[in-house]
Amino acid sequence: MNVRARLQAWLPAVPFGPAPMLLLLLAAGTGILLLLFPVRRSLASLDFWIFAINHRDAYQRAIADFEAARPGVRVACLLVDQTAVSRRLQAAFMSGTHVPDMVEVLAADTGLFFRGPLDDIGFLDLTERLKQTGLYDRMVTARFSVCSSRGRIFGIPHDVHPVMLAYRRDIFEQEGIDPATIVTWDDFVRVGRRLTKDIDGDGVIDRYMLEAEDTSATHFEMLLLQAGGGYFDAAGTLIMDNAVAQQALCAFARMVAGPGRIAGNLGGGQILTQAMQNDYFVCLLCPDWRTKVLEQDIPNMRGKLALMPLPAWTAGGRRTSTSGGTMLGITRPCRNLPLAMDFAQHLYFNANELALRFRTTNIIPPVKDSWTQAVFDEPRPFWSDQPIGRLYCTLAGDVPPVYVTPFMSMARARMGEAVIEATRQYAAHGEQELAAFVGAVLARKADDVRRQMARNPYR
Amino acid sequence: MRQPLAQRLWHWQHKGTPYLFVLPFFLIFCTFMLYPLLKSVYLAFTCTNGPRSIVWVGWDNFNYLCRDRNFWIAVRNTLVYAAASIVLQLPCSMGLALLLHRQWLRGRTLLRFAFFAPYLCGQVFVAVLFSVLFVPRFGLINRLLQLVSGHGLELRWLGEPSLVMPALIIVTLWLYTGFNMIYFLAALQNVDQGLYEAADIDGANAWQKFRHVTMPGIKPIVVFVVVMSTIGSFQLFELPFVLLNNGSGVNQAGLTIVMYLYQTGFETGNLGYAAAIGWVLVLLIMSISALQLRLGRSQP
Repeated sequence: MNVRARLQAWLPAVPFGPAPMLLLLLAAGTGILLLLFPVRRSLASLDFWIFAINHRDAYQRAIADFEAARPGVRVACLLVDQTAVSRRLQAAFMSGTHVPDMVEVLAADTGLFFRGPLDDIGFLDLTERLKQTGLYDRMVTARFSVCSSRGRIFGIPHDVHPVMLAYRRDIFEQEGIDPATIVTWDDFVRVGRRLTKDIDGDGVIDRYMLEAEDTSATHFEMLLLQAGGGYFDAAGTLIMDNAVAQQALCAFARMVAGPGRIAGNLGGGQILTQAMQNDYFVCLLCPDWRTKVLEQDIPNMRGKLALMPLPAWTAGGRRTSTSGGTMLGITRPCRNLPLAMDFAQHLYFNANELALRFRTTNIIPPVKDSWTQAVFDEPRPFWSDQPIGRLYCTLAGDVPPVYVTPFMSMARARMGEAVIEATRQYAAHGEQELAAFVGAVLARKADDVRRQMARNPYR
Repeated sequence: MRQPLAQRLWHWQHKGTPYLFVLPFFLIFCTFMLYPLLKSVYLAFTCTNGPRSIVWVGWDNFNYLCRDRNFWIAVRNTLVYAAASIVLQLPCSMGLALLLHRQWLRGRTLLRFAFFAPYLCGQVFVAVLFSVLFVPRFGLINRLLQLVSGHGLELRWLGEPSLVMPALIIVTLWLYTGFNMIYFLAALQNVDQGLYEAADIDGANAWQKFRHVTMPGIKPIVVFVVVMSTIGSFQLFELPFVLLNNGSGVNQAGLTIVMYLYQTGFETGNLGYAAAIGWVLVLLIMSISALQLRLGRSQP
């Protein structure tokens, strides 16, 4: 019997006709093909995930140079949403599925990756490599705090993000205020009470001295770090309710609440643009990255804004803080570790690259020996011709460390609640028992975090 | 004597084909539903950091859940939201449906589409839209309120704990009232018109007709919408997540159970505890849905 005749004999036996059989055969066929010829992974020598669009723009040239100097090497740089980077990476580390060779992670999220035993952390331990090669000493060491867990370093910091105070130079001049006379936060509050005004007399304040949120820890955190406080110490112990935090929170409550308040908040983006155009804020807490955001969002403020160091908590004290940040990590399954380290050095330690990148992003690199370059002395017309690079570099060495643990986001949330309660207490009762109240609130919030920490068996 | 090949094949297929057709679904269901479900039961009794480091903690996750202040805040917020969804949203949907069911109303089709349209936008887009509308000083909603009240007003819809939930409910009203209206409209169209004529002959007024003809006629759909709205409310996540800028709002005022589950699992990395929260949520939804179905079945 020939094939055709055989088929003719078989087909009537298929109860639902030949179509389902054909589908079944197709499914089986494609399955076998996939098994025999699996989808090839990336053809690039290094897969590199980033989340910041301005980083991608700044890295394009650097990657091209890196590839040109090494024939045959290709770096695939993939822009992934910041939340997706963290969640996908976290899931991939846990499940053992494909991860990129290198990845930039937001500093606020790094703690998440440090949850388990040290051996299970998905990033390579770079401690010895960084120290032996001398790269560690070339950087602002405080910045390694966001890349470290239990004394081991799992990444390289991308930035320092020192914080300065951006102020409306035109308003200061109109009011006859010399920024050099504002040395401490007490000085700042004194000036702030003069400049914070209900201009049209409708009972609502139309101009605030400072943009600061009374409903989250976003702005308070910068002042807390400046004061020498934080959420955790180097050993990972929770310190969010220590004496420094209590004093800082009392002072912050006085700024953002009560009849003498000098700070308000509206939110970011377009609203901030409108607020700035309406002279709603005189000063903004301004990490280096924010200078670029302001340049792009409110170009018509060109020449009206200038920068000054943060007022100190006490005369002679620290005049800066830090906010935000990015860590470059090399994952454990990295296919070519020497090449990855080479690429990391090209991106993060090459002085020329860093200088060019500063022009694009306004971000001060953490590599101290790069700060001598002329690019940092260039005057910026937007900032009233101030050499903002030099201003930030002068402060960059003094930024406080930000120690992270997996409980960072929880501690931040609890601190935000403490800020709300403290500001409400101050608005309702003023100075009456403020310090005791703040101490009790912070202790309660900290205990909440400690209870969760106590349940983590991987301490 | 041996049967011919075609007959043997037919016999085999006759017996095996149903299983063969069910097989793809069964495999997918087992891989992506059943296995993860069973695994999550196991996870709920562990503290884990991935498959390589799992510590069995017994009932500890559930014990802690009972004492976890944040979980109870999430439960409270979710219940308030669910209650508001049913108490405010469903009567609005029903009212709109009754109005747009009227034959004399001109432009009914256009109005039906207009009320349904917000649902087409999706939660994320609507959340982004309202996050701009709710802005304290320069947002459209506050500007409108300033215009109406005639004096300076700075309501911080998303920055004041007592206003976060009302803001969420306002957004939900805008988003889902039209969607539920469609169910009620479909139900109203299926009510026997003869019953209304009979009620007219008996001299029933509008309320009596609604009470004794319309409501019994659409009761199964009302029960369905109530149950689905409740389940949807308990699953609330995207809307507050985007509206409150990836957070749970000031003083956790917008924290829902699913959001807490997400925070615990993916922001703190405590998958075991998150699984425990998930199972408590399942039990909660099942109990409330069962209660609603039971109440729906009971005769007045």
